[in-house]
Amino acid sequence: MSASATPAPAQGHELEQSMFWIFVQIAMLLAVITGLELVTVYLPFMKWILVSVLVVLSTVKFMFVIFYFMHLRWDRAFCTIVFFIGLVLAAGTMWALLKLFGADASRPLPVTLAHPPAIAPGIA
Amino acid sequence: MSSDAPAATIDHHFDPTTSTGIPNKKILMWAFLASDCMFFGCLISTHLIYRLHPPPGTLAPRQVFSIELTSFSTFILLMSSLMMALAVNAIQKGNLKSMRWSLLTTIFFGCIFLGCQVYEFRNFVFEKHLTITNSILGSTFFTLTGTHGLHVLVGVIWLTGMLLYSFTGRLTERQAIDVESMGLYWHFVDIVWIVIFTAVYLLEYI
Repeated sequence: MSASATPAPAQGHELEQSMFWIFVQIAMLLAVITGLELVTVYLPFMKWILVSVLVVLSTVKFMFVIFYFMHLRWDRAFCTIVFFIGLVLAAGTMWALLKLFGADASRPLPVTLAHPPAIAPGIA
Repeated sequence: MSSDAPAATIDHHFDPTTSTGIPNKKILMWAFLASDCMFFGCLISTHLIYRLHPPPGTLAPRQVFSIELTSFSTFILLMSSLMMALAVNAIQKGNLKSMRWSLLTTIFFGCIFLGCQVYEFRNFVFEKHLTITNSILGSTFFTLTGTHGLHVLVGVIWLTGMLLYSFTGRLTERQAIDVESMGLYWHFVDIVWIVIFTAVYLLEYI
């Protein structure tokens, strides 16, 4: 990324000219991927396969938007690093929380009050 | 502008006046977006955690959600992202007229998305009887999608302000970074929706 951050002027001009079609093609690709995601949820496969496919497709869409629409592909690598710090922290937090609360020990206990609160006279 | 570039050409990916070579406004926006990632990461986690162990007797999201409406909203937001990218491209080339049309279309798509969300919320509350206070699903769902909707609303207001500002004659190719920063915010709203669409909606249909 840093290598392509400062393109030569002629290359830069050509890049600007072709940007329009790059963006249109990517938008079409994103729409197609969204359609594929919709079809995926109705396929008769095992749950973990479908979840994996959905995660991969969403990640592809995510990456296309940040690297092309948000210009990370052409910007200095520092912008990518700044954003990915937040992204990795967020993803790590999500992963940790889901692991913690996904464990059987985290299953909520049935609500049984050992000592029900005494009802004050006059309220009942 | 890089030293070897012609005087008339502005290199929008390099700013020699800063030590990093990146415009300060752009770094500020990327840092803000990184922090917003963590904010939305927590909201999405909260929703997913409560979905892991739903209390007995609560509504199943599949009975409540309308995948057709949500897919349409997703498509609209993706197209608004395309128009935003074209608006940034236009102002970087100094094409003010094209930028205004692209911004106007982005605002239009943003308003359609908000309209869909208002319709969805009304449907949930008045027909499905799912509110922010009557179930855990309602609390986490409305908090998450409502926060995202608020971001979209802020984006629409910002876009409208920028569109009006462009008519003052003070917005030129040199101020393209202002439009680009706004574009970064708008695209971020789009990528958050990409995650929400999969994690909150699609996973319920498997």
